[in-house]
This record gives sequence, C-alpha cells and structure tokens, in this order.
Amino acid sequence: MIFSELYSAYYNTVAAIISKIIDGENSEKELQKVVSKYAFSESVLTIMPSLKNGKWQVVTPNMITNLEHKPTMPMTKLQKQWLKAISLDPRIKLFDVKFEGLDDVEPLFTPDDYYIYDKYSDGDPFEDEGYIQRFRVILEAIKKRTQIKFELINRQGKTVFARCYPSRLEYSEKDDKFRMITSGWRSVSTVNLAKICSCAHYTGEKALDNVEREARQDTIILKVLDERNALERVMLHFAHFEKQVEKLDKKHYLLKINYLTDDEPEMVIRVLSFGPLVEVIGSENFKELVINKLKKQKNCELF
Amino acid sequence: MSSYSELIKNFEKIRAYMREFYVYGFKSRDEYSTKSARSYDDERRRIESWLGNHMSFIRTLEGKNVFISIDSRRIYHNPFYNAWKAKSFTDGDITLHFILLDILYIPSVKYTISEIMQLIDEKYLSGFSAPMMFDESTVRKKLKEYCEIGIVEIEKIGRKAYYHRAETVDISNLTDVSHYFSEVAPCGVVGSFILDKLETDSNVFTFKHHYITSAIDSGVLASLFTAMREKRIITVDNLSRRKDVPRKNRIIPLRVFISVQNGRQHLFAYHSEFNCFISYRIDYLSNVRLEETTPRFDELRSQLDRMQTKMWGVSANRSKWNDEKTEHVEFVVGIADDEYYIINRLNREKRVGIVEKIDEHNYKFSADVYDVGEMVPWIRTFICRIKEIKFSNRELERKFKEDLDAMYKMYGVDRGEDI
Repeated sequence: MIFSELYSAYYNTVAAIISKIIDGENSEKELQKVVSKYAFSESVLTIMPSLKNGKWQVVTPNMITNLEHKPTMPMTKLQKQWLKAISLDPRIKLFDVKFEGLDDVEPLFTPDDYYIYDKYSDGDPFEDEGYIQRFRVILEAIKKRTQIKFELINRQGKTVFARCYPSRLEYSEKDDKFRMITSGWRSVSTVNLAKICSCAHYTGEKALDNVEREARQDTIILKVLDERNALERVMLHFAHFEKQVEKLDKKHYLLKINYLTDDEPEMVIRVLSFGPLVEVIGSENFKELVINKLKKQKNCELF
Repeated sequence: MSSYSELIKNFEKIRAYMREFYVYGFKSRDEYSTKSARSYDDERRRIESWLGNHMSFIRTLEGKNVFISIDSRRIYHNPFYNAWKAKSFTDGDITLHFILLDILYIPSVKYTISEIMQLIDEKYLSGFSAPMMFDESTVRKKLKEYCEIGIVEIEKIGRKAYYHRAETVDISNLTDVSHYFSEVAPCGVVGSFILDKLETDSNVFTFKHHYITSAIDSGVLASLFTAMREKRIITVDNLSRRKDVPRKNRIIPLRVFISVQNGRQHLFAYHSEFNCFISYRIDYLSNVRLEETTPRFDELRSQLDRMQTKMWGVSANRSKWNDEKTEHVEFVVGIADDEYYIINRLNREKRVGIVEKIDEHNYKFSADVYDVGEMVPWIRTFICRIKEIKFSNRELERKFKEDLDAMYKMYGVDRGEDI
C-alpha cells in the first residue's frame, strides 16, 4: 500500500530527531530545525509538542530517549518491488549499480505492463557502451563540480572541441533524450548527450566560471474556447509550465504561460495543434509566428 | 468537531482538490459547491502546507482563486509526492513503530510476543509518568501488519513464534538511480520514499516536458499493476466527466498507456460484459478491488499487442462481434532544400504508418488507424506545409477544413498574400 504512515514525513522527522538525540543533541531549537528540514511548513505545531507532552512516547519531555539505536527501517515489499521493476528498465545500464537481495522479489510492473505511446522514436542509445561511458563521466563531474573536455558534432556537421562545467543533466520524456546543461561555456549552454562523441575529465589548470547561464523567458497569452473539452486538454497539455488561468465567461478562458525563449518554435506548433479552439492574444511576436505559418498554409491551397 | 490536522486518513478527497488547483486553478472558493466551505479551507491549507511556495493566489471579482503553478523544468523532485507522505496515524502507531524496530534492530535478534511485551513495558515506557498501555493483541496486530508490509518476519522455532527484522537491500549507492527513476518511472513516489531514507540528496537531474500530476494517481496505478501481475479481474469506480456519480466497472486490466505529451494515463482493459476493449482515464478511476484470477489475461493481452499496431492514441474500434474498423489518412508535406529536419520529425514522431518520398520536395505520410481523430492535433503541427490531405472519414475531413478556415479567419489571414 502506497499511502502508509511508514513513508510519512512525520515518521522520517521523528526518526531524524531520535538520531540527533542519540548523538547527544537535545536542544529544542536544534531539534526544531530538524522538523523544518524534514516535515511540512505547519508541522512545527505538532511534532515537537507531541514529543514533549508524552503523546508519542519515544522521547521523554526532557528530550531523552529510551531507544538504543538510531532508527532505521528495512525496505518494504513495495519498495523492493519498485526497485526490481526499475532494474528491468534498459536505462538502468547508465548507472553503475547492482541490485542485491531482489532475486525472489516480483517486480511491481514490467515493461510489458505499460506503454508510452507518444514518445519520439529517436531517443538516446541508452544501451550503447560509449554513450554509457560518456554519461558516467558527466555524472561524476556534476557531482564533483569538476570540468570536462568533450568533442561533439555541431548542426553544421563540424567537429567542435570544448570544455565546461556540466551543471546538471536534463531528461525529456517526450524526446527520450538527455541534455547536458553547462556552465562556463559561453556559446551554448545545452548539449544533446547523443551528439557528444567523446568526453573525459579535464585535469588541466585553466579556469572557467561555474555559473549556469540564465535562460531567457517569455510569456504567451492564449484565449481558450471550451468546446470539445478543449479547456481540459489545453490545461493538461501545458500543465508542466508556470501558468495562470482566468475565466472570462462561460466558454472562454485566458491562459498565461511562461516558457523559455529557446523553445519558441516548439511552442508555436503546440499551440497550432489545438486548432481554432486556442487563439494567441500575445505576445505580438508569437502571434506573428502563428500567422506566418497560417499564411504559408493558405498558400498551399489545400482545399 | 474535530480539530484541523495537516495529515489525512483518506487520499481520495485530496486527490480531487490537487487536480483542480493544479490543472485548472481558476475557481474561487464559492465555486467548489459540492464540498463544504470548511472542507475547502482545510484541504487548501493542507496542500499549502505540503507544497509551500508552489501555491499561488489571485484576487478576481468572484473572490480569491487558489492555484498550483510549477515550472517542472526548474525543480528536482516532484512536490506532489509530499501528499503521499501525509498519512495520519495514532499516538500508539508511532510509539509502537519506533519501539518495535528498536527491539528488532537487526535481523539476527529474535523475540517472542511475550518477550516483546515485557521489553515494551519495562524498558521503553517505564520512564514516562503516564505510560501508554498496549495489550498483546494490539502489538500482535501491528507485527502482523509489518510482516505483510515486509519489514518484519515471523519464524517458528520449536513451538514458539519469533519475530525478527527482515533483511533489507543496500540502497547506499542508489541515490542517483532513485532520483532519476522517481521522476520518470511509473509509481515514482516509491522512489521518492527510498530517497527519503538516504542521507544524501541528488540534484543531478532535472526534467523537461515533465508532467507531474500523475503522481496523485500512484495508488490506483499500483493496484492496477498488482492486478495485471496476478492476472486478476478488478472492479473499479469510474467517474466520467459527464456524470457526477461514479460507475462500477468489472474489467480485466491489460496495460497502462502513458502520454508524455499531455501527462494523461489510461488503463486499457477488456470489458467481458460487452466483449469490448475500452480505455479508462486513470485519474477518473478510484477504489480498485482485486477479484478472481482470469485464464484469459494472456490471450487478451496478445490481442491488444496486435491492436496497438492500429492505434494512434488510446482508442480502439472493435464491435462486440469482433469487427474492427480502421480509418485511412494520408497527407503530403512540402519541404524546402534545407528543411530535411521536417522529414526527421515525421519519422520520429509518427507512432504508426509510413513516410514515403514523392520527389525532392514532397513527402507523404499515410496510416490506417482505428481513430484518425486522435491524429488531427499532430497533423496540425505541420500547418504551413500541408499540400494534400485525405481522410477516409469524410466528416473528419470536413471538420479539419472547417477548423483551418476558422483559424484563417481568427487571425485575419487573406488568401494568396505574399510572405
């Protein structure tokens, strides 16, 4: 069962508090910090008072515990089943890990139990040895905050050599691709991992700044006509953006979406996919892009 | 009247509110008419406590609207998982939990129930001025629950039953794995539970095109996976968007269909009463009850495998007499010399069908699927270069044309204008 107090923020917080006390920390101020770190914003009103007033008898009112060991919990059957399930995913090869103790465990699901039907078919080669090696170099550099040097083929088909701090790996489920987000490389801040032909840790002494470039954002304003269940479809489709919606009348809604300017071409076709049920109100620049597409279409004299 | 708590006993009620706040977020307090104002205030306050800064407010003429706005590209972990970590419990539950796991602190330590009872009273609770009283049946029940969950095991030695802690799995090197898969694998919240037990956090991965709302359906999804693994029939409540009262369905779950372009998840199932295959929105399903096993599971799943070659999305068109109808669609796109990436797009984005070269500047896509209507939004993404289009479903073709005309009018696009 997923919804269980065993996984709750409260149990985790109390476990952390007991561990602190066993380590000799019993100042209430310090223990409140544990609550702020592990629990919710209003949990301070409940957790420490419940421990202090003897409601939860694992810590005495003077912050002493009769427990002898720092609390730990073995993996539940559900957790083991989930781990077993992901051990069957081809992408697991990217990580240099072994799953021990799961031989007799049935997976929570298998790749046959679900189907991602709209994922693009040219995803990254997750099982390619070279790709895996490059992935691991980058992953290690991100964690150690060190530089890498790499070689990639750019859009013009030319080989480019570069050096950067990889700051994170961004994965798109739709594209089924990883992108390396870089710092310290002025020309480009995002590199498709599959485009990198070789990479290694940089051990030289040349310095780089280690600040990720701030991506430029824009806003579009859309007017949604709620016919053919358009409102729900639009809101779900754009759910992953920062957005705000306002009801104009019984059938019309105004939707503001913030997006990264680099993604503008993709945003244009995503808006077009809704046909006449979504009208671009702003920005003028974005509206112009949509109009240009429609003008070109009209010139195709389809009907 | 019970006092407010940020913890909850039942997930179902909060599931509906979270979806409303996240997906829509334009309703004022008064528009949540089916629930009481007090209930609304409590749920809003809880979600605010769990999600913190992700909650926003706007004042309109109708009142204050609450909504959840998250750019999922900028976060490392799905904040909706917090809702799954807010299960309520009793004072006895939490007290017993820590004491029992302290008594059974390693797998080699084994105790009978009477030894455990003695330790609880004499070692753990004796220092309290008003110690809790646990009777043996309560402790036995808790240990039985922990055996079912898999954290405690029971072993018979002679005529006595001994309890001991279950063996665990070493997760110390699984931080990155748990982080990545907690965001991309089904039931990722379980990965988040694992991350909570790890001492280091991971901020290595972020996610683009990341739909996080399905997190709130994880409970239903896990039950569906269990049913499929055990090849069981289920009874499930389905709340259609057209009806207020959920309808009970007795079905054989076959496969979960996940969209990474709109975040929706569907269950594809066989409905034996009508001899048909139906897809159900998982966010509308609740109260999954596992029933008897079915010998038909493998045969039905094979049928689905075959049907998937004619499905663009989640629709199938098969009558109760096993007749299958497909619709044909074909369209031609024109490309300029430097636009071969459009053909790459066609090839990588098509799920079924074929792409054929007509000449240097024209390529044709064609497919036969159960429901061409599902493909129309994708076809529209090629607007600006569609030179020919044919649907076997004439009504759909008329509608496509009508929609295109409506778009021209909407933006004042005139025929033949130079660009």
